[in-house]
Amino acid sequence: MTAADPASPLPYTDTKPVGHADFYFAVNATFRFILRHHGEEALRKYWRDFGDSYHKPVSEQWRGRGMPGVAEYWRAFFKAEPGAEVEVHESADEVRLEVKTCPAIKHLRGHQREIVPEFCQHCYFVNEAIAEPAEMTVRVCGGNGSCTQRFLKRTVDAPPQNLEDIATAS
Amino acid sequence: MIGCYDFCGHYEWTFGWLEQLGGHELVRAYWDEAIHQDSQTHASGLIGSKGFEGMKEYWGPTLADEGAVYERTVMDDVFRIDMHECPSKGFLIRNGLHQYTDYCDHCMGWIGPLMRQAGFVVDHEHNHCGQCWWEMRRKADSTPASAPGTLGGDKDVRLRPGWKSAHTDHYERATDPDDKTAVS
Repeated sequence: MTAADPASPLPYTDTKPVGHADFYFAVNATFRFILRHHGEEALRKYWRDFGDSYHKPVSEQWRGRGMPGVAEYWRAFFKAEPGAEVEVHESADEVRLEVKTCPAIKHLRGHQREIVPEFCQHCYFVNEAIAEPAEMTVRVCGGNGSCTQRFLKRTVDAPPQNLEDIATAS
Repeated sequence: MIGCYDFCGHYEWTFGWLEQLGGHELVRAYWDEAIHQDSQTHASGLIGSKGFEGMKEYWGPTLADEGAVYERTVMDDVFRIDMHECPSKGFLIRNGLHQYTDYCDHCMGWIGPLMRQAGFVVDHEHNHCGQCWWEMRRKADSTPASAPGTLGGDKDVRLRPGWKSAHTDHYERATDPDDKTAVS
């Protein structure tokens, strides 16, 4: 795994403990740009490719360490996101994130930014692309500021993700 | 979720993805439309309305929040930045991330069009090692870029022992990311 800090569960680490929240502006703007130029299918492909490629070290970590690795990753991830309020619940077969305050939606709203309506879908598409090679799957419910994200073993008989379960962001 | 902690890695990866999809023109359009005209509207607003004062107000908090090591020199007719440790390029170098041909071009990619719209031109060099310098002047001011040390004093990044690299890009009174020449 490529890592500036091999002790961190995050594959890419910085010298500062928390990210700069204004970068959420660019994340939102990037989604809008791809939608405007190439449409919804291209945006979904962008999210899947991003999960497959950039996050490959995370997939490997999850495949090797199982649910404890998933839980460790998300605890470290949200610790570095300013304004996040997230509970990570771990069991043998599942990791469940209870996102009480999504840091991105909070920051975008706080600065009166127009949020791409499909914004919350990125959590499903990116995370599913990370989870699949680790023989896991993801279900997202809610959004637009708070949601539940479940990371399950692929062997579990879970109904497919219904995109209508993911809220339109505003 | 796509976070802000490792955003620079995500950002650089995106340049490569867009280039594969639509070539260099799509990457240029992304820097201008998505970053300059959408993400960074707060920068455009400040600099467009307040000029040099707006540059101070924008880059002061932003570079501090990003964890940059830099020096700023502000005169009545020029705004200069000496970037000694770019937090963005530094993140990529430390993490071994290299998806796009020239990450450093993104700064001129969005700042250039912003400055053009606000009535400024830019002298700039970056050495692809996390160091760069910028001088912004009003378009009507034909003063050339300063000689090393004359404006930034001993904090001028060009005086660093490691400034010269095998691959330094040079911009002169520019506002376009492709208006560059290589300096050896």
